[in-house]
Amino acid sequence: MRKLWAVFKREYRETVRKPSFLVMTVLAPFLMAALMIVPALLAVKGMGERRVALLDGTGRLGDVAGALRKESPAGSSSFAGGGRRERDGGPAGKIVPEYVDLSAADLKNAVGPYLARLSKDSTPKEKLLDGVLLIPADAFQRPFTNLTYFSRSAVDLLAQERLGRAVNRALQRQRLAARGLEPADVDLLLSPLPVQTVQVTKSGQERTGGEGSFVVAMVFMALLFIPSLVYGQEVMRGVIQEKTDRVVEILVSSMTPMELLSGKILGMAAVGLTQMAVWLAMGGLFAGSGFSQAQTAGLDLSTILHPSIAVWFVVFFLLSYLVTVGAYAAGGSIVSSEKEAQQVLTPVMLVFMVPWFLMMPILTNPDSTLSVVLSLVPIYTPMTMFVRILVSEPPAWQVALSLVLSVATIAFLLKATAKIFRAGLLATGKRPTIPELWRWLKAA
Amino acid sequence: MSRILSVLDVVKHYGKVKAVDGVSFEVAAGRITGLLGRNGAGKTTTLRMITGVLHPDSGRVELFDKGVDEARDRLGYLPEERGLYRKMRVLDHLLFLAEIKGRPPATMRSAAERWLKRFELWEKRDARVEALSKGNQQKVQLAGALLFDPDLVVLDEPGSGLDPVNVVLVRRLLQELAAEGKAILLSTHQMGEAEKLCDEIVLVHDGRVVKAGPLAEVKASGGRDAVHVEFEGDAAFLADLPGVASARVDTNRAELRLAPGADAQAVLSAAVGQLRILRFEVVAPSLEEVFLEAVGGGTAEEVAA
Repeated sequence: MRKLWAVFKREYRETVRKPSFLVMTVLAPFLMAALMIVPALLAVKGMGERRVALLDGTGRLGDVAGALRKESPAGSSSFAGGGRRERDGGPAGKIVPEYVDLSAADLKNAVGPYLARLSKDSTPKEKLLDGVLLIPADAFQRPFTNLTYFSRSAVDLLAQERLGRAVNRALQRQRLAARGLEPADVDLLLSPLPVQTVQVTKSGQERTGGEGSFVVAMVFMALLFIPSLVYGQEVMRGVIQEKTDRVVEILVSSMTPMELLSGKILGMAAVGLTQMAVWLAMGGLFAGSGFSQAQTAGLDLSTILHPSIAVWFVVFFLLSYLVTVGAYAAGGSIVSSEKEAQQVLTPVMLVFMVPWFLMMPILTNPDSTLSVVLSLVPIYTPMTMFVRILVSEPPAWQVALSLVLSVATIAFLLKATAKIFRAGLLATGKRPTIPELWRWLKAA
Repeated sequence: MSRILSVLDVVKHYGKVKAVDGVSFEVAAGRITGLLGRNGAGKTTTLRMITGVLHPDSGRVELFDKGVDEARDRLGYLPEERGLYRKMRVLDHLLFLAEIKGRPPATMRSAAERWLKRFELWEKRDARVEALSKGNQQKVQLAGALLFDPDLVVLDEPGSGLDPVNVVLVRRLLQELAAEGKAILLSTHQMGEAEKLCDEIVLVHDGRVVKAGPLAEVKASGGRDAVHVEFEGDAAFLADLPGVASARVDTNRAELRLAPGADAQAVLSAAVGQLRILRFEVVAPSLEEVFLEAVGGGTAEEVAA
């Protein structure tokens, strides 16, 4: 036990003292925040203000411009489309309409000057247009006519969609009014109803969430997998370092491979927990605002994140961590360089990541045969079973069985890894073949 | 003289290659035992089985009458390929090496200080290992093997990589430890060094023990006398003289082995006729010669290589 403790302490101390650890711990939250915020900012900025000329051949749609001006730039609520809120704004900027009544003019000739203002080269900045929407004179008479949108970019879909919707609503309103409906009745007739997802659990509880639980499930899957991957690689690097530094002979002559392996894995787990604690403390500030933002966006996260989820998360995190780090440690012991290790481990990791790729079918159908089978396969249990618990209510026996299978597998894996570890640590030079690995496993 | 270590008929294969083929010997307290042989003779493999790094395919190693795993904390080991964590600081590293031998770091601080001072490394206690010279790293490694006061010290090629001054320092140190009653087992291919240092000799060749016993006995087992000649002239004929069993003739030095009953005086008379003799000495054969004779063939250069 003292030896395990010695390895644990050394592993922890030496890793935490590394400058790279400090940099990672302090900078990662900022990087993450930047990764999330910058694209959102860019999207809003990129949309920015869009100057669009509305060339109205009918001369009756002047209120479209007013409606567009009232729309808020809704870029800030990019959180999964904002749940209940109608997605009028979308992740876009503001559209600045320039309404022109062309009912009296000859459309064909009148359009020309506006199209010319789309060109960046020949137009002064304040007169530059980003788009031109042409509403034909016969828009009220002919049901199958087209609105035409001219723009520099062929894929200016968001602006195009918003313009189209605004114009069409105005058209519908006026057509209905023309049939003698009161404006109040028109608004009532045209108001759409949003769809809200309510999950009915077996215990009869009702949970709302829908899009929200999808995002939360994604975040949790990433949290279950990515840290294990990062620390697994760190352990592997350490093992390879010990081999190239030749410390390993001293270590193996002083303790059992199991003591060495457990000390390393636990030491790195402590490093991970330290890092997470720091991040949580730093993130607490941001998370508070994120939570309330999600709340205003119509997402009641508390219905998804009840306390039992935290417990399950810890359980499945540990399982995922032990399986992944064990695999990396074994990988590190059988190779002689990091480059070689990557070659060996990339296919292994792809196999481990199957649930990640199958996330959609698992999430949308958490009790299908595929989901049940995956959640019972030990290496896939952490991610799959956790997600099933999150979005559904798997039968207790399945949860219990998956845990038993996982723990048994981890026990076996650690034992096997310890053996491979011992043999692999001393064998330098060429990588062992599969039959050799098998012999190492069998050797006491 | 109490027995500390018994190696009992250990065998180790690497795939189809038999690295160690039934080696047995004992190491006693207060004695320096040398495991001698060429590269590839099985020395390192044998030491690794003693230190518990490898398990023998068959046979047994007993430390203090126990299995290796139970007694490993009383054994200090200096591996052939020295290994330290490059990024660790010297003092931290020594304390770690003691802790994995089951000694709480708090109790080892003074011992670490003593050893670092003895090796003139105390000022460097907070330096990273990688910042030290190779020779100094070796000394840190050696301090790590001795720090926790082991009863048996196993050293694989302790002299390799050390400059002559440090070789002397290590030799003194080992003699001192033996005088304190520790058991020392070292491997080397440098017969001259072994002759100066060891009380007991175990000669291994091709994974087998070819000769073992106290140094004097092993040397005497050569039985016949050896003749060392230094000369000027062409001495190729010496090998063909009657009474000369074998000869290694260099440009101005030759080592002859006499056939049983042959008279060294007759060889001298024959040599005087054709060479200018600078030195003519009848001596007991060197360990090197005993070794070469025991394994049959090869030259001193090959052995030293």
